[in-house]
Amino acid sequence: MLTEIPVEFDEKLRTLLKIMVEEGVTYAARGFSDMVGTPLSISRPQVHLVPLAEVPNLLGGPESEAVGIYLRAQGEISGQIMLILAYAKALELTDMMMSQTPGTTQTLGAMERSALAELGNLTGTFFLNALAAFAGLGARPTPPAVMVDMVGAILDVIVATHGGVGKQVLMLQVAFWARSGKSRPISG
Amino acid sequence: MLAELCSVAVGLGEIKISRNPADVLVAYGLGSCMGVGMYDPEARVGGLLHAVLPVRNGTGDVLAAKYVDTGLAQLLDELTQAGAERRRLIVRMAGGANMLGMSDPARLFNIGQRNIVAAHEFLTAHRLRAQAQTVGGTAGRTMRVYVANGRMTVRSMGHHEQDI
Repeated sequence: MLTEIPVEFDEKLRTLLKIMVEEGVTYAARGFSDMVGTPLSISRPQVHLVPLAEVPNLLGGPESEAVGIYLRAQGEISGQIMLILAYAKALELTDMMMSQTPGTTQTLGAMERSALAELGNLTGTFFLNALAAFAGLGARPTPPAVMVDMVGAILDVIVATHGGVGKQVLMLQVAFWARSGKSRPISG
Repeated sequence: MLAELCSVAVGLGEIKISRNPADVLVAYGLGSCMGVGMYDPEARVGGLLHAVLPVRNGTGDVLAAKYVDTGLAQLLDELTQAGAERRRLIVRMAGGANMLGMSDPARLFNIGQRNIVAAHEFLTAHRLRAQAQTVGGTAGRTMRVYVANGRMTVRSMGHHEQDI
């Protein structure tokens, strides 16, 4: 998930944002857990401040195949949220959401994309609700859009709408896994 | 024996020019961004622009290559300085997709389409034209310019590299 950083960025603000997004991610994971009906464990979110142009390299390179689930926040908090998953991990997630044996999903058709959109909708809403409650402001998400493409192309949505080649973004990385312990962590 | 090829990444808002026949200029993962390649087959010099937005207005970023209009002007300047002649230039371009596709019925900002239009307007104003293009749609693309022979290619996810 990406959140644009204001220009006046200092350590105090960074710490505050980190607390807010950690709470947001925790809520989002809770929403996801409710959706799949499986208790999930999540790692402590890693929060990095990185140049936007560097983000593709942190996600396997700009040409690597991925799934991007994109929402915009509207209301008193405005911004953009992009949940990015490696393509293979998105297939695993789809199996988990559709209660299928791991390895069943081989491609992402309309049904699978719809499930991933719902995942983005749910986690995005939980994330935004946590931020809104923390800040005492109102926010609501737009319907999610699912993109299956190269990481660089997916990120163009953020880059182009903000025009921020040289800007820095807050990048959150979190891994989560079913508590049964049989599945490998999925990070996004 | 063929020299080993060397990929030279052309990042967001960047221009790369090369006379080294081993170089392959690459703009990875173009979504709404535009990749514009130019090549002079006599001077054997090539260049590639990876522009993000269509037009730089007065208050825009100082980074010329971030915009299609100022980026193309800079690409032409740098190629000319490297020995290319405008009348010999082969121009090809890729990108300008709408990554949100049908999920974006309002066509938010419509940046991909505006990038395509800006590129054509610049080329027309400078008496140039794109000999080939793979633009628009909803899929990302990687564009390559092979400096050895001016070959330009595009690859989309799940597809092989194709000449344009």
